[in-house]
Amino acid sequence: MRFKASIQNINTFTKLTASLNSLGPLAWVKLSDDQVCFTIIPEQGTQVWAVLSIDAIFETYTVQSAANNVINLEVPLTSLTRALKSALNATSAQLRLTKKDNTPLLALTIVTSSSSNSYAAFPTATANNHEDAFDVSYDASLGGGPRETIVTQEVPVRVLGPDTVAGLHEPQCREPDVHIILPPLLQLKSISDRFTKLALVGKSASGSTAARTRLDMAANMHGCLRMSITTDAMSISSVWTDLNNPDLDPGQVAGGEIGIAEHPSTRMKQLGSADGRSDEGWASVRIDGRDWGKVMSVGRLGGRVIACEFILRLAPADFATRHNHTAPASSDTDRYPGFCHEHALILYVYLPSDNGEDESVLTYYVSSYSA
Amino acid sequence: MVLLNFTLTPEAAAKVHDLLVCLGKFSDAVAIEARRERFTFTALNSSKSAYAALSLDSKQFFTNYECVPSHGGPDGRFTCSMYTKALLSVFKGRLYDPLGRDGAIDRCEVSVQDRPDETQCRFIVKMVCNQGVIKTYKLTYEAVDVMHALFDRNVAKNKWSMHSGALKEYIEYFGTKTEMLDIFAGEDGRAIFKSYTEKISNGKEILKHPLVTAVAVNTSDFEEFNVQPGLHIIISVKDFKAIVTHADTLKTNLKAYHSQPTRPLQFSYGCDGLLCEFTLMTSGDYNAAATPTPVPQQVPSRSDSRAQSAATERAESRSMRSEMPPPVEPASRRSTRRRNPGSRKASSPRSAEPDPESLFVRQEEEEEDARWEPVDYNNEEGESLGWDASAEHNAAAFPTFRDSGSLSRTETEDSNEALAPTQRVSQIKGLW
Repeated sequence: MRFKASIQNINTFTKLTASLNSLGPLAWVKLSDDQVCFTIIPEQGTQVWAVLSIDAIFETYTVQSAANNVINLEVPLTSLTRALKSALNATSAQLRLTKKDNTPLLALTIVTSSSSNSYAAFPTATANNHEDAFDVSYDASLGGGPRETIVTQEVPVRVLGPDTVAGLHEPQCREPDVHIILPPLLQLKSISDRFTKLALVGKSASGSTAARTRLDMAANMHGCLRMSITTDAMSISSVWTDLNNPDLDPGQVAGGEIGIAEHPSTRMKQLGSADGRSDEGWASVRIDGRDWGKVMSVGRLGGRVIACEFILRLAPADFATRHNHTAPASSDTDRYPGFCHEHALILYVYLPSDNGEDESVLTYYVSSYSA
Repeated sequence: MVLLNFTLTPEAAAKVHDLLVCLGKFSDAVAIEARRERFTFTALNSSKSAYAALSLDSKQFFTNYECVPSHGGPDGRFTCSMYTKALLSVFKGRLYDPLGRDGAIDRCEVSVQDRPDETQCRFIVKMVCNQGVIKTYKLTYEAVDVMHALFDRNVAKNKWSMHSGALKEYIEYFGTKTEMLDIFAGEDGRAIFKSYTEKISNGKEILKHPLVTAVAVNTSDFEEFNVQPGLHIIISVKDFKAIVTHADTLKTNLKAYHSQPTRPLQFSYGCDGLLCEFTLMTSGDYNAAATPTPVPQQVPSRSDSRAQSAATERAESRSMRSEMPPPVEPASRRSTRRRNPGSRKASSPRSAEPDPESLFVRQEEEEEDARWEPVDYNNEEGESLGWDASAEHNAAAFPTFRDSGSLSRTETEDSNEALAPTQRVSQIKGLW
């Protein structure tokens, strides 16, 4: 069993593990020849099934094992994130699977030289101290050459056998009623966080111990998204309009054109209106506000660009379109939640890629309350 | 009865704050030992594995220092012990602020009231602020006998020295929950700082094991590296972090002296009349590798060695005064400070929480990251919605009243330097 890879995009990798870590402490990592999968299945709450192309995070990549060159690992995300964070300024970072005292571990080797003389660049309080005067001339004589430091971070992991993971399956879901592209996640997160907080205040005032924070999330096929919360004392909602409901690709829907005509979302299109005032045509799902806050943590992967430059693209929930569409022009993250009426909420988060051939997608199966 | 008075500049008071923060990581209480020629803070941790002595030179560190112990002649001393937190609430952060914002002081005057004709013994700190505001704090103290850990540098054959800024970078790589630090002198021209935790258990628990971090540094990056190759020496990573963080506030070189594992190790650094020495317990090879334990060239019997080290310590402390580096001219020092007004804030350990008034733009990455973190609704007392039902709005409009309390009012009446804060509300109603 061998795994060795140099990390190409340390920033993306760190943000990925950090946002996954908000949902659960452990990840099932599946390393294979053509992709890397991260799966989080917490005891309760939202599941994430992330499929990444190799070059989304790695550069040179070798994986060998007796089981079809697939390695399954259980990885503590807090340690991995911490380790990756220390590599943010590295000149090179390499990850490999190794063993020490019979314990398997992922060893992250970081070479850093950025630290060279960063402290000596400023005059110090003791600049006229003899020793420091010596330092300066010493550094100067070396031409201020970079100091190379090698940092090794060892993350303990557990190797999972093929039979252990054989029982883990991605959830199945029927065709969605509504699919819509979410508004900028930062905006969405700040509003849903505020709603959740209000619900908690209301609960603690009424003396109820089990504070429930049920957000009602609804969308129609006319570009509207409504988020609301109702407690004994209040009812608040925010409505977004003019969002995009991506068109379905006939090539990807079972039954082609006929399939689209019979698709639930086509029927939903006949109901409701674009101003969001109609009571009809909404598909809604009840989610836990705290859990939603953890899901929104994925917004960091899109970076700052999101709010201003946002590229929309087709992605009906549950379809296999993810292998088909063309590359985004900019490096943005696109999100398409699928609303299955009163049933489930699925979020697809597409990561930017350089060549557009191999898409990386994170699928969030958001836990919901039954009606 | 003792006579002890001294005055600190804002910079020196800020340094007292920094050193108290550091000592607070070792012990709840600090001991104070005042002598004619120096003032020393000491702390010993609860497991007695770490001892810190931070000496302030009477001539260099203070603008004015006067200490006449009640007895003991020239070698006499005044000793007491106080809670670190109590002192820290007096020596707050941001005492030194070139822009003179809230919290900045003009000078700090300390005196000890310990006379038979007084009813109370108090450690009195007077913070003279701008605009003539004087804050007086009277702290209680406990009279204790101060003990010192002895360290014999003659026996410590191994030593190294490195700039605290570089070490600060290294400690930032370490995982959060590790316990031990192994400092290893490799035979290939590298030294390795390795933070780790002793094995807890196996099986599923293995995934909860903290990160093991090894930082390999070329020995040429040290200012001095003179350690027997192959030697492992192990200390607590928490102590090391506290020491390096403090040394970094002074931007000095950190020197380490040690002999062999299980014998004490000493870190030493200082500048401008401040000398910091930390004596730490060490342990041996953590994985019991076949490294020959070096035998000290001379192993005196226990009592001998005690006497000997006691003697050297005394000799050392004497010579300390002459070894102190010459003072930096205050003017030039101030100017370097001015150029970089946020430097203290940035380097002080307190700066963990972002300062809303900071001149510096916070690291965008971190800010960005924090924004994406799920909100912890259980731990957000400060931000919870609601209103203040305490009807103390008037009091809140006069923070000065509350802050100085009755003590300072009596004080300000005595000294004619300040106006008593007794303007009638009716006179200033135009403000509302």
